[in-house]
Amino acid sequence: MTRYLRLIRIFTGATISAQLEYRANFLGAVLASLGEVGVALLGIAVLFGQPGTVSVGGYSFHQALLVVGFFMLTEGFISVFVQPNMSKIAEAVRTGSMDFTLLKPIDAQFNVSTRNLNVLRVTDILIGLGLIVYAASFLTVTVGGVGVAAVMYLSALVIVYCIWLALSTTAFWFVKTQNMSELFNGVFGAGRFPVTAFPIPVRAFLTFVVPIAFITTVPAQALTGGLSPLLALASPLVAAVLFVGSRLFWKRAVGSYTSASS
Amino acid sequence: MTSPPPNVAVQVRDLRKSYTVHEKDPGFVGSVRSFFNRKSHEVEAVKGVSFDLAPGEVVGFLGPNGAGKTTTLKMLSGLLHPTGGTARVAGFEPRKRETPFLKQITLVMGQKQQLIWDLPALDSFLVNQAIYEIPEAQYQATMREFTDVLGLEGILKKQVRKLSLGERMKCELAAALLHRPRVLFLDEPTIGLDVNMQESVRAFVRDYNQRFDATVILTSHYMADVTALARRILVIDAGRLVFDGDLASLAEQSSGGKTVRLQLRQPISLAELSRYGNDAKVDGLSAELSVPRSEVSARAARLLADLDVADLTVEDPPIEAVMAELFGSSAPIKQREHEHVAG
Repeated sequence: MTRYLRLIRIFTGATISAQLEYRANFLGAVLASLGEVGVALLGIAVLFGQPGTVSVGGYSFHQALLVVGFFMLTEGFISVFVQPNMSKIAEAVRTGSMDFTLLKPIDAQFNVSTRNLNVLRVTDILIGLGLIVYAASFLTVTVGGVGVAAVMYLSALVIVYCIWLALSTTAFWFVKTQNMSELFNGVFGAGRFPVTAFPIPVRAFLTFVVPIAFITTVPAQALTGGLSPLLALASPLVAAVLFVGSRLFWKRAVGSYTSASS
Repeated sequence: MTSPPPNVAVQVRDLRKSYTVHEKDPGFVGSVRSFFNRKSHEVEAVKGVSFDLAPGEVVGFLGPNGAGKTTTLKMLSGLLHPTGGTARVAGFEPRKRETPFLKQITLVMGQKQQLIWDLPALDSFLVNQAIYEIPEAQYQATMREFTDVLGLEGILKKQVRKLSLGERMKCELAAALLHRPRVLFLDEPTIGLDVNMQESVRAFVRDYNQRFDATVILTSHYMADVTALARRILVIDAGRLVFDGDLASLAEQSSGGKTVRLQLRQPISLAELSRYGNDAKVDGLSAELSVPRSEVSARAARLLADLDVADLTVEDPPIEAVMAELFGSSAPIKQREHEHVAG
């Protein structure tokens, strides 16, 4: 365990140094963060800007803002920790450098999941946290609510990682998989609205088929004390099942890997 | 399966690998058709290869493109799972990729790189030090040696993307050998390098082999790599091992015979020289011709008796010529018999 923590420290040092090589990239990243939050806020501004609208799907403006906050936070988590690593899986399979990864005496899934960070997108995380704190200041939040929300959100991060890993792992068979991450981004876009704002079939789809509801709506509900006990139990369970499932899927993919011939 | 005796570093028995490959007709229509309905068929890349390597042995793996060299190396390093037969490397079954096994091997591929592109090579070395859990003192000692032998001074702190191909390859080698592996798989390690760089890569591999008694399997398109490093040659063609022996006996396998070079005191006509052998060439007082292997001494004696010879040398044909002949013709090639240790 300490060995893997040490590896994370070394990987992080290397990836940050590599990014400092390209300073101009920083401006682009900040603009991208602002763009993301702008689009998300515009969405709920349009919804609540309609005359006479005080709630959407049972959510007040500030509760909806809370969902946007979790959305941005997750967006940041993906941009900083998940996508930089996952997008490299397909590349490594295509160029054959996956060969080197698989021959290293450390867990290959750990290796591909922790080698890269996009520190420039940390602003997304800060904006997300800022929105959550701002929105929560207008709502009644208990200490217990914060505790449950933390567990729910931790589960949400595991869910996000597992979905990305599973989608990226298909690269072992299909080699080019950019459209897989587009698929995730497309569906995840729905997460900037509370799931209750959608018609019931869509809501069911976003809960049971692609568990987007667990990523933004459930933590927001937990924070304001409106979470059903069933969902509170389901979220960590979904996370655990996905974690085991995506790990097995990864192992299977590596097992059938026939590296790009030189 | 019985475990190999301790004096065997690599043991390969009847190793096989077949792939499923997809076919596509050329052109747009072919692409569309193949998108919806992929035709595939089995290709046997390696068809039952057996050999043993002793610790410290350096072997050259030769064969035309697509012969199955890289596939065999990948099975021995654990990247590909064999579809048949067995392989044991350093006492392990490669396909399991166990940590103690991975710490004892390395794979270097001339066409692929593991160094972090945007950072100096030194940063990649530190990452590998952590991954392989190399103690600091050993890391420092190894780095000093490698810097010395490879001439890495001054290039370690430059970003990898700014290095020349040769400099990058030196750093790739250092990164791959930092953990002092006992078994080295080198796939075309000198590809694309200029002659000087090729020579320093060879010198480094030779030095490493002697210093650590490491077993080396080397594939290369450059015969010089093989002749400089390997005493033993494995020739693989169309997935089969067609030759296993030393360089000299590989030359003997060729039907071309030996090359006799002459320095004459008196000029000779081409027609006259041609009576003594094939492929006669005359250039002033220098001449050469090819003589069947079994008749070398008789022909040489006749040449010395009949002509006014200042100097006569008998040489094996260059290995390139032998290889061209081996793979150019479809003549059957004798295979050395194998004593199978394991059943």
